[in-house]
Amino acid sequence: MKILYAFFVCLFLVSFTNAQERFLTKKGIISFFSETPIENIEAQNNQVLSIVDASSGKMAIAILMKSFMFKKALMQEHFNENYVESDKYPKATFKGDIIDFDNITTSEITLAIKGNLTIHGKTKEITIEAVTKKTDEVIEMTGNFFINLSDFDVKIPSVVKNNISEKIKVSFRLYHKTYKK
Amino acid sequence: MKKISIYILIIGLIGVCIGYKMYNKPHINVAEKPVDIALTATILLADFSSNETSANAKYLDKIIAVKGMVTTVEFDGEKTAISLQTKDDFGSVVCYLTKEEFKKSTEIKEGQEVVLKGICTGFLMDVILVKCIIMNSK
Repeated sequence: MKILYAFFVCLFLVSFTNAQERFLTKKGIISFFSETPIENIEAQNNQVLSIVDASSGKMAIAILMKSFMFKKALMQEHFNENYVESDKYPKATFKGDIIDFDNITTSEITLAIKGNLTIHGKTKEITIEAVTKKTDEVIEMTGNFFINLSDFDVKIPSVVKNNISEKIKVSFRLYHKTYKK
Repeated sequence: MKKISIYILIIGLIGVCIGYKMYNKPHINVAEKPVDIALTATILLADFSSNETSANAKYLDKIIAVKGMVTTVEFDGEKTAISLQTKDDFGSVVCYLTKEEFKKSTEIKEGQEVVLKGICTGFLMDVILVKCIIMNSK
């Protein structure tokens, strides 16, 4: 966590000299969806922090687990207390490289992003696809991907095993703007 | 024998009722809950930036009343985000209001001092409070 914080501070320090190169959003949206025959579970986080460095094509995302809002209070409680243990692991992060970032244009194209996703204290390398587009002021990225709960050591008690899917669909919508103080 | 099975049935029914009620447990209503911690935006951010782990233990999931000067008010549909000024140059305290507060939030101006009450979910660049309501504004 300390390293991540230092990383962000560095980003901001650099952004003063190189304001056009950094794109940032504090209000990105990430939601996840678990589908089983018994019930569907959905939660949304509207306070996603994401930074794209347009000179290197690197990106970093940080989210607070407790900012995921569920339809049912009980689901939210179980999610935070039992499954992802938000008190112990309050954040999830992603750090990666946008492959072929130079190809980005003002019209939508699909680019791959390769990087490390950390949830519940466990890190896994993933490659995701995002529909991206870039103007002078905005970098927009949307897409979705699947994660396996077992990859992040999230244990679901057998009583509710049938209610929660092992494969979780994660969707994101990030609308980065040039960083201005 | 018949009596016993009726008892079992009643107990079972009560169980189902309790289970159903728990399953549909309502979300925390911030407006009705008492304030756990009242402080200024500057102190809240300073606590998080000096030691995030201890601040997490102290503030997460608590009902917090935070006082500060409004720097920006942003709208996304009926959702409002109000940023409060702190002495720190980089971070601030960002409060995400409930939909019910939308009408009141349109009257809030930049530079005005407000007290907002909400649930603290943690610290990224800013300290984040969700489900906020406006307590008073002058």
